[in-house]
Amino acid sequence: MTRLLAALGLAAAAAAQSVNVAAEVGLTHVFPNGGDEAKTWILETTGSGAAWIDYDNDGDLDAFLVSGKGGVNRLYRNDEGRFADVTAAAGLESEGWGQGVCAGDYDNDGYTDFLVTYWGRNRLYRNLAGERFADVAASAGLLQDRVRYNTGCAFLDYDNDGDLDLFVANYLKFDFETTPRPGANPYCYYRSIPVACGPRGLPFDRNLLYRNDGEGGFTDVSVESGIAAPARNYALGVVTGDWNNDGRVDLYVACDRTPSLLYINRGGGKFEDEALFRGAALDADGRALSGMGVAAGDYDGDAAVDIFRTNFSDERSTLYRNRGAGDFDEATLAAGVGRNTRHVGWGAGFFDVDNDGWKDLLLVNGHVFPEAAGLESGIRYRQRSILYRNRGGGRFEDAAETAGPGVTETHAARGLALGDYDNDGRVEALINSQNEPPALIRFAGEPENSWIALKLEGVQSNRSAVGARVRVTAGGRSQVDSVRSGGSYLSQNDLRLHFGLGGAKAADVEIRWPSGLRQSLSGLAAGMTHRLVEAAPQAAVNP
Amino acid sequence: MPAISRLALLVLAAASVQAQSVLEGIELFEQGRYTAAEAALEGLPDKRARAFVALARAATGRCGQAAGGLQAAFDEKSDRQVMRLAGLALARCRIAEKSFAGALSLLNLLASEFPDDGDVLYEIARLHLKAWNDAVERMFDKAPASFRVNQLSAEIFEIRGRFSEAVAEYRRAVEKNPRAINLHYRLGRALLMESHAPEALAAARREFEAELRLNPNDSVAEYQIARILEVEGEHEAARERLENAVRLDPDFSEALTALGRALSAQKSWPRAVELLERAVELAPQSESAHYNLMLAYRNAGRESEALAVKKRLDEMQRSPEGEFTDFLRRIGELPQQ
Repeated sequence: MTRLLAALGLAAAAAAQSVNVAAEVGLTHVFPNGGDEAKTWILETTGSGAAWIDYDNDGDLDAFLVSGKGGVNRLYRNDEGRFADVTAAAGLESEGWGQGVCAGDYDNDGYTDFLVTYWGRNRLYRNLAGERFADVAASAGLLQDRVRYNTGCAFLDYDNDGDLDLFVANYLKFDFETTPRPGANPYCYYRSIPVACGPRGLPFDRNLLYRNDGEGGFTDVSVESGIAAPARNYALGVVTGDWNNDGRVDLYVACDRTPSLLYINRGGGKFEDEALFRGAALDADGRALSGMGVAAGDYDGDAAVDIFRTNFSDERSTLYRNRGAGDFDEATLAAGVGRNTRHVGWGAGFFDVDNDGWKDLLLVNGHVFPEAAGLESGIRYRQRSILYRNRGGGRFEDAAETAGPGVTETHAARGLALGDYDNDGRVEALINSQNEPPALIRFAGEPENSWIALKLEGVQSNRSAVGARVRVTAGGRSQVDSVRSGGSYLSQNDLRLHFGLGGAKAADVEIRWPSGLRQSLSGLAAGMTHRLVEAAPQAAVNP
Repeated sequence: MPAISRLALLVLAAASVQAQSVLEGIELFEQGRYTAAEAALEGLPDKRARAFVALARAATGRCGQAAGGLQAAFDEKSDRQVMRLAGLALARCRIAEKSFAGALSLLNLLASEFPDDGDVLYEIARLHLKAWNDAVERMFDKAPASFRVNQLSAEIFEIRGRFSEAVAEYRRAVEKNPRAINLHYRLGRALLMESHAPEALAAARREFEAELRLNPNDSVAEYQIARILEVEGEHEAARERLENAVRLDPDFSEALTALGRALSAQKSWPRAVELLERAVELAPQSESAHYNLMLAYRNAGRESEALAVKKRLDEMQRSPEGEFTDFLRRIGELPQQ
């Protein structure tokens, strides 16, 4: 595509041209998730997530995709840009209603582990030296007392003790026996057509927090930590961040049809939901929207990390601008991201598509109800993605229509994971769609800007450095970001941090590690990935 | 045994046989065997028997024969259950006869006696539906070319969530009578219900502007235009429209809230707070007004006042789970607790 545009002399004028390369790199399996023409149960509507994980520590990202009932989750090893299905060899074959995925080195052995959430039993996959995985959920104490509808998850070191704890969101209480069928009551309709019932009308469940005991086991601390409260929310996507910048990691949970949650870490193992007062629970009209996915990023360059949440159709996605100390104002309309209301939004992520130093925004969409495609309202089941280009000054521009087929092709998308799988300095998007092969979107066609990627490794802090806060300064501008487990919609982005640098050739980096240690490195060269070890005086080139 | 005692026993036995017959007749009625029930109960010297004979006649469509017995049973208030059944049957008869005023007064009496009774409330709803249907039928019959026919069709489509069809009907109504007050407004609103896509916003705005040309004092049309301008990023123009709306109707709580929020965004705290306090005063159940007042206090550094409003907001936010679970229990979708 880039060559074609160049031949036509259009390269300079074109926006970032996107193309789906999934088929040509070997990502061809279909991931089933309920009915494709009609859905009987809400369980068919929520899966599933995607992840970029470098499981074998070879310096490139491998792909993991979660499947609903009728398929298997799959791990694809990245072999120089082509993906080989290594699911069976890695010991990852499992069936069920898979939902989300999140990654982190919970046992600090240097290999990234991950959790897959289910309606049913969650799997904690311990990485055995980059060769195989073992499901250790039982021995780690993560079996649950009953069937739960687990959705988003994130590893986080909430007590800053150097090992990763685990948060798991729960959507609602569901079973096939007692849940009403489509059309069974007035709450099982969408625009006059019978559809899967819920979430309204179905009972709430509570979210879960597990403390890592440092010896391979987890203890459920949901109640004493305050995470179990308020249990009045249909929880889906999860993202971590230190919103009030007090050195303790907090949690934001996008909730469907109910106020979203902002669990502020009060220290001493206690959390408190402060979303309402802090202005991140509702929209500007005081309404609870249908929150699905969530992304964190500093879109306006004020060093405070903001929150973007995807919602249902006829609602706007919501951008909450952080005022600096964890209080938010809704900035959706002011930032220019409020005009797309036909889409049901799921995965979302901030990333710098053109490496100009300003974080852009990608969101992937797809309606909940295939039945809605028959309505005469212009509603489509499969929907295109949306790319908002950050123009600086706190404003975005909708670039979807000119962003090329990778963005405009339609899917029943759910999970979205962002990462630079071919280490070429441009971030790609891995999308898991219902009953389709995944999409792998590459972006090209912009004038070349420089970039830098940082792979952080904790020593006193958790080895994945989850929670580390990084400030990169280059060309007179500073950007901040954090290493995050989970995020988007039930998905896992690359644990490495990627920064566009515009025309700068080097960057200064400051890190605040979860341990509290502050570390500065000067003059890191652009155009490569640097491995930064906690307290080590110099960076190394990755891997 | 003395003769008097034997007589008393005979009387008691006869009464017992009669009571047994009444019970059997009522049981037949409850089984839906109305003709058999009527036969079993007819002529028995018992108030309940007479009432159930009338109920059986009403149940088999003989309202004329049943009316006297039903009225007597309804007026005889000693047995509340019989009174309720008789009142409901009488109301159904009057609805069938299209004697809506009589049915309504009877159902109002029943509702005062049985305010939470599902059957009573159902008959009241049925009565209004029936009266509504009759009026619509008359309208289609007598004034088929009136724009009101299209307007009504549009409103029905709106209620059913079929917004594109509602829009089409409103357009027909507007074509027939472009100067009808409120029609452009309703069309604009239906367009927004159908979609918030840019072209829908533009079309809706045109209708609200048309409404304003007909009625320059329409504060609600001003408000709708302001909200569209907000989405289009024209914040200053939106604020001016909201100022107009509030000038036209100083008690318009939604416009006060939106203007307060716009002024908050501009850090004009004192006036924002003033407007939002007024909005809360005018609409004490508005979560939107409370939410925006809380944020305005917070951003203005008035934290204790913000927390006080938050407390009120917490109280107002009723759990939807509770609301819908209660509903589902009532209709039998979930087990009773």
